[in-house]
Amino acid sequence: MDMSFSTKEYFVRETYKSIRRNGFMSFASISTVAVSLLVLGMFLLIFLNTNNLAKYLESQVQISVYMLDEADNEELESVGKRLSEMEGVEKVTFISKDEALEKFRERLGDQQQLLDSLGSDNPFPNYFDVQVDSPERIQQLTPQISELPQVETAKFGQEVVENLFQLTRILRFGGIMLVVFLSMATLFIISNTIRLTVFARRKEVVIMKYVGATDWFIRWPFLLEGMTLGFFGAIVAALLINIIYSGLQTKIYATLAFLPLLPAYPLLTYVSFFLLVAGTGIGALGSYISLRKFLRV
Amino acid sequence: MLLMSNVSKIYPGGSTALQDVNIHIEPGEFVFVVGPSGAGKSTFIKMLFREVIPTTGSIFVNGIDILKLQEKEIPYMRRQLGIIFQDYRLLPDRTVYENVAFAMQVIEAPHRKIKRRVMNVLELVGLRNRCNSYPNELSGGEQQRIAIARAIVNDPLLVIADEPTGNLDPETSWDIMEIFKEINASGTTIVMATHDKEIVDAMGKRVIAIEKGRIVRDEKNGVYGYEL
Ligand SMILES: Nc1ncnc2c1ncn2[C@@H]1O[C@H](COP(=O)(O)OP(=O)(O)O)[C@@H](O)[C@H]1O
Ligand SMILES: [Mg+2]
Repeated sequence: MDMSFSTKEYFVRETYKSIRRNGFMSFASISTVAVSLLVLGMFLLIFLNTNNLAKYLESQVQISVYMLDEADNEELESVGKRLSEMEGVEKVTFISKDEALEKFRERLGDQQQLLDSLGSDNPFPNYFDVQVDSPERIQQLTPQISELPQVETAKFGQEVVENLFQLTRILRFGGIMLVVFLSMATLFIISNTIRLTVFARRKEVVIMKYVGATDWFIRWPFLLEGMTLGFFGAIVAALLINIIYSGLQTKIYATLAFLPLLPAYPLLTYVSFFLLVAGTGIGALGSYISLRKFLRV
Repeated sequence: MLLMSNVSKIYPGGSTALQDVNIHIEPGEFVFVVGPSGAGKSTFIKMLFREVIPTTGSIFVNGIDILKLQEKEIPYMRRQLGIIFQDYRLLPDRTVYENVAFAMQVIEAPHRKIKRRVMNVLELVGLRNRCNSYPNELSGGEQQRIAIARAIVNDPLLVIADEPTGNLDPETSWDIMEIFKEINASGTTIVMATHDKEIVDAMGKRVIAIEKGRIVRDEKNGVYGYEL
């Protein structure tokens, strides 16, 4: 867009004036955009994480055998021995509570502070990492292993994977429905706000036409207003998403330590960027709808 | 400057506003369009800036067939015109200065030109010292002078006015006419629809009289010719 400095300045001033004049409606629009995009962003994060989790679990050919905390060394040793004697088992690795914690610490990388929330508790159990020769073997061995003394649970990836993919499909469908619905609500409120602006400025528009303003010159301030509302709504949503995800991550690491959550960055950078683009786009579309209907230029 | 041939206008409702109008106006002319209420004066005026499109006929403004213009060319055609209405059509939330500068901003005139030019035209219409007032702080005559300043600020070739003194008392009307005379003296063509017999008779300019949509008289140095 090739426009002179004074024209840009004029547009910015007009947009600012109009957003102030529409006060409450501007606020309502920004809030609606923020809520819609917040939900959209959350869905995106949940979806990406579920997908990631499913893929991660699928790739495993191993059974994790979690031991009860009261099992003593002798009992642990005996379970380890029986595991390695089973048919199809290729490798058994024992990971103590302390080692589990240490491994987790490594996985955290630069987010060590998440561990601080644990205090001195170590939520990780002792466990055996049992590598088997094929995914089919997993189905057959897991029930047997669960029966061994002092075993709390024996878990393998595959069964969860099926459920997770199922969940991903539901999430995708539900997410799309919700996002479509919220987008419509957002479009509606933004186009309504712009309609008010068009109404407030109809005299101006008529005069602009008489003195020879081009259609696009007349439309720009209205489009800018919608885009600004969308953009500010998106900023609010992006800020909230960043705060919520980081907070949730701390909580999840503290309680569901095994869950491989996607790291906050660069994920949140992409999601925030996406929200800003979506918000501004919805704003532009909302104004455009209103202009088509109410601004005969 | 202005050429209309065989122009007729029948509004969608079926009322015939103009019938078979043929007009030729030279650059620099000052032309009154007179006639009783409902004669078709406003329709005539509105066709000059493509607010109303004639049912038949063709209109040339400054050599351009304005009925053949594409939508996106219309704004540029209008930039050669200055349009003035009976009801001034000012923006109440803007100062005198801003109302006039507005016309330059929306055609994207350069920033540094705007201020000098606006002050010059405000000087011409005698409102330089009221430039920071708001329209509602001024009299009707002064408001119309703002509208005139706005119409001429972009140096139009043709100024079109629809009953510009229709809301003003005789004395104020004369002040306004003095401004139009001055604008015309600098070479700008003026076409003005009016009811004002006294002014038309005293000015001694070309008069085009319309009655029931037809031109019934077209005289150089004409008079109003109707009883009030
Ligand atoms: N928008 C319109 N729709 C239908 N009829 C109209 C419209 N504008 C004007 N007319 C009719 O056209 C005729 C001429 O009107 P107008 O040009 O306004 O006359 P004047 O300005 O001389 O009073 C009148 O009969 C009027 O009722
Ligand atoms: Mg009229």
